[in-house]
Amino acid sequence: MKDAGGVFGGISQASPFVKRKKYLGSNLKWLKRDWQLYVLLLIPLFFVILFKYGAMYGLVISFKDYKIVKGIMGSEWVGLEIFRKVFSNRNFPQALRNTLLLNILDLVVSFPMPIILALLLNEIKNKYFKKVTQTLLYLPHFLSWIIIGAIAYQLFSLNNGIVNEFIANMGGERIPFLQEDTRWLISYIVIGVWQTMGWGTILYLAAITAVNPELYEAATVDGAGRWKQCIHVTLPCIKPTIITLLIMNLGKVMGGSFERVHSLMNVATTEYTTTIPVLVYKWGIQDIKYSESAALGLFQSVIGLILVLVADRVAKRLGENGLL
Amino acid sequence: MRNKGFKKAVALTLLGAMGVGTFSGCSAKTTNTNSSNETKETTGTKVEATSTTETSTEGYKDYSQGFENNVTIQIPVYDRAFEGWNVTNNYWTNWVQSEFGDKYNVTVEYVAIGRSTEVNDYNQMLAAGTAPDIIFHYDMPQAVAYYSQGAMQPIDLEEMKFYAPNYYEMTAEMSNTYGQMDGKTYFFFAERPTAYNWVTLVRKDWMDAVGKEMPTNLEEFNEMLKAWKEAGLGNGGGSLVQNNFTYDYAFRDWPINEEDRTLYSDLSVAALSWEPTKEFLKNMNYQYNNGLIDPEFYLKTEDAQIKADFVAGKTGMYSLYLTSNTDVIDSLKANNPEAEVAILTPEAGVPEGKKPQARAYWPFGMIMGINSTTSAEERAALWMFLDWMMQDNHLFTLQNGIEGQNYTLDSDGLAVKAEGFSGESALSQNNNKDYWCLWSESVQYDNEDLNYKANLANWAPEGYEYLIEDAYKNFKATEEYYTPDALFTVTLEKLAEYKTDLNELWKELYVQCVLCPESEFEATYEKACAEYLDAGYAEILEEKKEQIAAGNYK
Repeated sequence: MKDAGGVFGGISQASPFVKRKKYLGSNLKWLKRDWQLYVLLLIPLFFVILFKYGAMYGLVISFKDYKIVKGIMGSEWVGLEIFRKVFSNRNFPQALRNTLLLNILDLVVSFPMPIILALLLNEIKNKYFKKVTQTLLYLPHFLSWIIIGAIAYQLFSLNNGIVNEFIANMGGERIPFLQEDTRWLISYIVIGVWQTMGWGTILYLAAITAVNPELYEAATVDGAGRWKQCIHVTLPCIKPTIITLLIMNLGKVMGGSFERVHSLMNVATTEYTTTIPVLVYKWGIQDIKYSESAALGLFQSVIGLILVLVADRVAKRLGENGLL
Repeated sequence: MRNKGFKKAVALTLLGAMGVGTFSGCSAKTTNTNSSNETKETTGTKVEATSTTETSTEGYKDYSQGFENNVTIQIPVYDRAFEGWNVTNNYWTNWVQSEFGDKYNVTVEYVAIGRSTEVNDYNQMLAAGTAPDIIFHYDMPQAVAYYSQGAMQPIDLEEMKFYAPNYYEMTAEMSNTYGQMDGKTYFFFAERPTAYNWVTLVRKDWMDAVGKEMPTNLEEFNEMLKAWKEAGLGNGGGSLVQNNFTYDYAFRDWPINEEDRTLYSDLSVAALSWEPTKEFLKNMNYQYNNGLIDPEFYLKTEDAQIKADFVAGKTGMYSLYLTSNTDVIDSLKANNPEAEVAILTPEAGVPEGKKPQARAYWPFGMIMGINSTTSAEERAALWMFLDWMMQDNHLFTLQNGIEGQNYTLDSDGLAVKAEGFSGESALSQNNNKDYWCLWSESVQYDNEDLNYKANLANWAPEGYEYLIEDAYKNFKATEEYYTPDALFTVTLEKLAEYKTDLNELWKELYVQCVLCPESEFEATYEKACAEYLDAGYAEILEEKKEQIAAGNYK
């Protein structure tokens, strides 16, 4: 809003025509200079158009009784019937609760971790040690959840897990890390932190590099130690990055990763494992109820969008840049 | 200024992107409408064409001299990801093309269907209009699901008889009995000769070590597991019961109550609230609480895990389709040189006073229907192809390969495989099964003796012939207690609606019933039943009762 006001304010002051022409002219020159970059931009743009916007067309099946053979257009319109069916499904309330629970817990626990880690890494002076640590920390990001799930059960399962074997051999009591509801929830969050925190630091570390060194010098002159510098210089400087990422993460509160739940769940511990993405998978892929699955996905996306917009507004009210 | 310009440029481009996105949506819409109209139109004309041919010649057009214009038929084939094997283009697909296709001016195209992703693959191809001319599946409920989506066209058995008299003779009776949906014939079937190679291997050396004989009932069986546990040998294994619900046969009453069987016995959905299931769960609860089975059985969902536990000597039992090339016994021996295996008798799972019942297969193998978009000419070519395979020695060749290369005939007329043959006519890893499953589920000879010998050669690993001999004896001794599920001749809509959800819920609930302390079993089971019935099972039972009353089942 601030930006737009600036531009239009400028136009209204002088002759709009001249001003606009000049503006366009400078814009075109700029385009001419950087056209290679724009051509490069076309590639991701094409991807987004094809796979994000193009796919949106399929959403109409959430308002239809979709039959494969009849095709999308040939299927019958049923209004909001599908949504009624989805909301009255016996799994829906539980899935809604679990989705919110898992993702809010995740946000509270996992979101601050990369920030803390980035601040810590930033304080390491030995370059070699820093690089190695960083690499080791973000390696888990490259493991697929299916593999992480398998490793988790190898390590933590009650009767065969290495950790429990160790505990038992030391004379302790076996702990059902993944085979008891509450403990499963904790394991789910902790494993998630382990997987994502290293990768999350990359953006923050980049933001930290952009902090003006003069600020640190000034702080040092004022007698700030490393802790004070960290709190009063680094953190405020990367605040816009933090807010942007927070807003984007809020959009995922209704969604979250399907693979993560699916690979860590087991049939004996089901209290928290029915989430919206899991239901979308079960209905859409296993049960070929495409209409229901699409309707649920649409519901999830709309709530996500609303959350992002609201968060953006709140951020702007608080004087931050926001996302849009 | 530049920053603002950049922002604006990005915004404009994004706007443009959205616009294009919308338009691309529109264009997709139009093409889609067109194509679906086209299909409808063409199907329409096709139907007309059939009727005109029928009326003009008062029968069916004769193509035995070949088709005037080349006709393409698409045949599905399971892709089991065998290493180094191209499922749609290999010696045998080329053989079919040159021996049959070229003769009748037909192009036979094979379409790969992922074995573990078949339902998805078919659905996607049906949606895209690229599904093969035959739509097949091994289980009736899913075949019916394809039918209810409108994927298949009705079959004219007279037409089949005209173009494929041999095939008609094989399948017509099954088709008349089981292939009808809502009053019309939709399915035809491959043969399923009796098989008895689904066996449970048990550690004979463990039994000897604890001084137990082969158990003759469930009580003795549990005693044996207890003795194993006390001797520190291992447990009875176990895995998650899912998808195919055949677990409770041993707990059913004999003779069977016809009404109960029709109502409850169903491969595709578990009858949690039925008495035999309760008995089954109660026994499992006892086994679990006494450490007789794998305490983490519910984590074992893949055959590889179950097999690994058996091979490693952690568990003493493993069930499989025994085949001559299985590696399970060799692997077991490599880990435990003293290991000996035997076949667990069917009685071992049966409580005192009950009979060793089991699920009889329906008498058919592959269930097939004709794609709703297949034209009359393509259908004729398809029938001719199915019939051609049954003529002369074609099927035998596809099953065994080229004589003198893949196999030699012994004095009885039995095809004996050439060990390690790897010439260009080598069969696929499961002996070309996926190419000949449209006709039969196993290689058949003219007489019983030869069949038995062939089965021994195909199923028993070398030196372990006694396993199949025992399996055969067991099969013969219990054959009378095999019963097939009832087969409904109408679509059970509630079943289709709730099946997948109930299958998920079953896993949760039955595991709860097994894992709870023995004293809480009754209460847990009651609660589970109520939840299960409420989640849709009650509606399924209601629907089935209505159809039973209307006589719509076989």
